[in-house]
Amino acid sequence: MPLTDLKSVPEPVVHTAELVARLDEVFESGFGRLSSANLQTLASLAASFAGTPLAEPLDAAIAGLGRSEFVDRHFAAIAAARAAAHGAMHDALVAQACAALSRPRPELEALADTPGQAAPPRAAVLLESVRQWLMELAIAGFANLEVGALLPFQATLDAIMAEPALVRHAALLSGFLDELLTVFPAHGKPEVPRLRWVDLWTRSMVLSLAPPAPAATREVKGELRVFATDLRQHDHVVSLVAFGALHEPGKPPRVVRTCVSAFKVDVLQGEDFAGLLGEVGGKLLEAIAGGQGVKISGMLLQATGDLLWQEARAEVLPAKLKLAEEAAAVLASPTALRPSARPEDRHPALIEELVWLPGDGYSAAGKEVRELSLKGESFAVASERWPSSDDLLPADVAGSKGLVALLRFDGGRWSLQPVMIDKGKPLPRLVGTSLQAARAKARGGNLGTLKERAGKLLRKKS
Amino acid sequence: MIRPRVLPRPRKVQKVPFVELYAGRLQGVVSSGSDEERVYVSYFEAGTGNFYCSTNNNRPCGGLRGSPCKHLVELLNEGVLQYGPARVIAYLGLQQAEPDKVRAGGELLRFIKGGPHKVEAGMVFSRFLTYLQYVSVAPTGVPLPDMAWFVR
Repeated sequence: MPLTDLKSVPEPVVHTAELVARLDEVFESGFGRLSSANLQTLASLAASFAGTPLAEPLDAAIAGLGRSEFVDRHFAAIAAARAAAHGAMHDALVAQACAALSRPRPELEALADTPGQAAPPRAAVLLESVRQWLMELAIAGFANLEVGALLPFQATLDAIMAEPALVRHAALLSGFLDELLTVFPAHGKPEVPRLRWVDLWTRSMVLSLAPPAPAATREVKGELRVFATDLRQHDHVVSLVAFGALHEPGKPPRVVRTCVSAFKVDVLQGEDFAGLLGEVGGKLLEAIAGGQGVKISGMLLQATGDLLWQEARAEVLPAKLKLAEEAAAVLASPTALRPSARPEDRHPALIEELVWLPGDGYSAAGKEVRELSLKGESFAVASERWPSSDDLLPADVAGSKGLVALLRFDGGRWSLQPVMIDKGKPLPRLVGTSLQAARAKARGGNLGTLKERAGKLLRKKS
Repeated sequence: MIRPRVLPRPRKVQKVPFVELYAGRLQGVVSSGSDEERVYVSYFEAGTGNFYCSTNNNRPCGGLRGSPCKHLVELLNEGVLQYGPARVIAYLGLQQAEPDKVRAGGELLRFIKGGPHKVEAGMVFSRFLTYLQYVSVAPTGVPLPDMAWFVR
């Protein structure tokens, strides 16, 4: 199974990354001032989509943009092409990873369409405003942005945050706007994180092309045993992602993913997360802190292996589990039904293949653990993803009895992100184990102060 | 990757519930020392170094007599804590100040050359309400795959 087969990257992935990098130069200088080199880049983008369903809209978009026709369908075509390029890279990389790990590629579970609530009409208008703003960014170019062009979007974002059907948009766009406002205004030419910002631009555009349709789901019953977690955050959102084995009666256990998130402000950090996340996933935090299973009755599972967390359908079970054994068993040869991404979401940054490394299969290199030695061969650790939390530290790797890691692809190379470390004690090391204990303390803290102010002032306003 | 700063001490949210660098100002809301119901809206303007402090009903702060009042000092302290001296100095355009030597925000006062200059408190106050809106949005159990871009 050697992970060390992942030293090189498939050639088509490298070529596609180069094409995307050239396209991103256009986003930096702006579609409002296309140079002849930019036009050539756009032409080669169009050429690589010849014969695909995107060819016609892309040709029309590039011809139109060349005549300075700034309409949103042209930018939609560019965004779709860029997203498709990353989707193809994602698929090729997942194939490479699964071959190295000797496991089937993840598949979407076939689910019948479930009738759900469609987004309200207001959502369509808000998404049109998003597309308009994104178009303005692309015309100006990231290198030429001015704070005055960014500020008015805050009002649109406020309205998006008030619309529950657009929660994914709110999380993405608040992070993106924040980051732009952090960098601008700057003195002189700020350094533009080009790939990252065009990624965020593209995702925002693709996500805003049409109001979100309800995803297909099925009800599940059984027991969830969470064995690994990951924390994601920007100034305005915190997300705790949990991976676990789902035991459904009469079926082999499978890996699922569940995620609880809350909106927040910059001062809310660390222990404040307990209060924020406890509100939506208190039982999940309790189970993680105690290393216990959760009885699930009627929670909804999506085709991507995402369990939609609902407190009312969860019950924490008393027995303490052997989580390292649980992880080792379910990750030894995982089924094709495991967490994956929807086709329109596929991007190398979303690859997270869970792997179990037994204690005799690796050793830590150096104190900061920037690399793991896998039977003598070094393999990069995704150090930049190590969360700022005492629950899981690089120092935990040394002398551990086994670990769960997410296999990631970032910066043009494969790396491992440890998400659970077995120290031979009943409770393994994973992010979020301290949150349950912090929940009681969090009540009087910063979150409490701000909620109290919000209660008084926002009521007064309306 | 943009990471949060590890703050030298926790922010005093009870005292200064809101501080931000926005629209060319270091601005925020400071609680009154004497009256729980009252808040002051304070700001320093980039470039000019002008400042002001008033209640959210636009009554000027009594402590503002040609030089910054204690609310403005608290705002500056918390601003430097939240964003770090380098960012505040660059944002306000205080060319003379040396970020490495700044221990507390108050030390930047001597580089601020402007005087009291009134702006409508409502502009800053509505930003505070926007800020508070974030803690009022319901948390969610739906997947947010785009958060994969925001890791720390």
